[in-house]
Amino acid sequence: MLTIENLHVAVGEDATPIIKGLTLDVPAGEVHAIMGPNGSGKSTLSYSLAGNDAYDVTDGSALFGGDDILDLEPDERAAKGLFLSFQHPMEIPGVQTMTFIRTAMNAQRAARGEEEISAGDFLRLVREKAKLVGLSEEKLKRPFNVGFSGGEKKRMEMLQMAMLEPRFAIMDETDSGLDIDALKMVGDVVNALRGAERGFLVITHYQRLLDYLKPDAVHVLADGRIVKSGGPELARDLEASGYEQFIEAA
Amino acid sequence: MSTMVFLNPTAMEAGLEAAFAALDAPSDAARAAFARVAKRGLPTRREEGWRWSDFSAALRQREPKPVATPEDALDASPFVDAAPFECSIIDGRIVTPEAAAPDGVDISVSAPLAPREASADHPMATLNGAMAQRALQISVADGAHVARPILIRHIAGGEAFSFAQSNIVVGAGAKATIIETYEGEGAGFYSHLNHVSVAEQAALSRVSLQTIGDDAVLHQQSVGDIAAGAQFRQTGLATGARLSRAETMLDIVGEDADVMIDSASLAEGNRHQDFTTHMRFKARGCSVRQRHKSVSRGRGRSIFQGKFEVARPAQKTDAQMAANALLLSDGAEANHKPELEIYADDVECAHGSTCGALDEEALFYLRQRGLKEEAARALLIDAFLSEVFDNIDDETVRGVFRAGVARWLGTL
Repeated sequence: MLTIENLHVAVGEDATPIIKGLTLDVPAGEVHAIMGPNGSGKSTLSYSLAGNDAYDVTDGSALFGGDDILDLEPDERAAKGLFLSFQHPMEIPGVQTMTFIRTAMNAQRAARGEEEISAGDFLRLVREKAKLVGLSEEKLKRPFNVGFSGGEKKRMEMLQMAMLEPRFAIMDETDSGLDIDALKMVGDVVNALRGAERGFLVITHYQRLLDYLKPDAVHVLADGRIVKSGGPELARDLEASGYEQFIEAA
Repeated sequence: MSTMVFLNPTAMEAGLEAAFAALDAPSDAARAAFARVAKRGLPTRREEGWRWSDFSAALRQREPKPVATPEDALDASPFVDAAPFECSIIDGRIVTPEAAAPDGVDISVSAPLAPREASADHPMATLNGAMAQRALQISVADGAHVARPILIRHIAGGEAFSFAQSNIVVGAGAKATIIETYEGEGAGFYSHLNHVSVAEQAALSRVSLQTIGDDAVLHQQSVGDIAAGAQFRQTGLATGARLSRAETMLDIVGEDADVMIDSASLAEGNRHQDFTTHMRFKARGCSVRQRHKSVSRGRGRSIFQGKFEVARPAQKTDAQMAANALLLSDGAEANHKPELEIYADDVECAHGSTCGALDEEALFYLRQRGLKEEAARALLIDAFLSEVFDNIDDETVRGVFRAGVARWLGTL
């Protein structure tokens, strides 16, 4: 479903290479986890796949549903069904949360040639999903993420994911700063969406989230490359032995 | 009494002279005012307070043409849904409706106003005092709560130089809303002087929407007194004019007065929009919240000058001023000049000023959620501006302001 071949990404004015020949395939219906030490390129990978132009793709390809998405605008990738759960979600004062989520849904629907969601259907759906992610209706009436705690912002990311029902979601350290209950909630949201036509790439430092997600594969990212791939047991090994062996290997 | 004339007059000055000579029996005060204008000239960038807005240069080559706007050419006001009581000032000519004013409101036309101390030496107010022949008088009786907004439409047509005045008096304990629009495609010079008096425990909400044509030059000044326990709200939005300046000079003379002043400037093309305010705190325990926001693109230029002057008796003053500018292109410009002058020792006064581009990270976030670049930009700009309109209580009126922003953003 998402097939990345020999991806190279550079960042900054001096074009520092961060991703250095990354190859990864996530088939439809699977959840893959990427783990890796700080500075290994995890966030760079997620931002460049989502199309942030501060990240310069210098080589390689990324096929999503058979098309190379690297030349597409961020909104075109989103409309194709690519979702990024941000590690540090934005606060946007002056934008009402519900208005924003509905605007996003309808922008994606319009780009796909689908009908807009009606106000009534939207309201029913957003209430149902807000309950699932543990956000009160009062929070939905506030400006987007303004005054939210770190955990609430992550819940808001999960709410958007649940509402937008993307075909593929990249979750960039969604678990960082979350307590056990919130981790379980993230697991519930992902597991509810999980299906034969949907894929997930879960970037994390910790094995704990993976207890809830039960990934199909785990990859270790070090110095811009996948240096080891395996099953869920790899995450437990890493938790026990750390990344040092891979930093040296890279 | 002879009237002093300009030496080596520019096209504009010769035009002013001819226009003054054509006035119907100007008063001695008007003659004296014209002599002072002729002696000092219009303000230039070399003068403090006019550094960024040079009316002398902007008008130098302009010659006033005769007034030509027909009275019956007015389209419906954008505020029509607020069902206002509508007066108009068409190229300086005051037109009041025949229908009865709302209960508790008296509307009439009078001789020009006597200058107030706060702007007696002000060059543009002096020019207005020399040239304006009539003042629109709006008076709200003590205790009257006037639900229906009173609309004053300033219509800019043709290429005339036009001068008018108004006087808004809100009696003790009364409540009223005044809507002012500066509209029309005229390419002349429009000068308006407005006096405001808000009596004890009264509440006045004044909103102003300026959308006049690309080549118009506009100067408007409001000079007000705010009495004890009174509430004054003012919200202004400018999207039009070649050069515009909206000045607000308030004397906060009574204890515990509560003032909120909001303004927004949306400058594109070669437009130059100036909001200048001067608040003099003269009594104890007054509060002012002031917010200014500007968005400039193309070679648009936004100016904000705000001054709080806190006199010794004005202890316990609580005054805050914030000015935030958003620049959308390399040629765009914003100039801020916040000033605090404080003579009382037990006050809380603060000002803040920021200037920057759209947040690229926020833009990326919105685009990742599916918004196209233009839509994402528009959403962020609208969000940046939105709080400026929070103090407009009437939802219909606030909607017109939000629509003005949407029109500018191209999302309406």
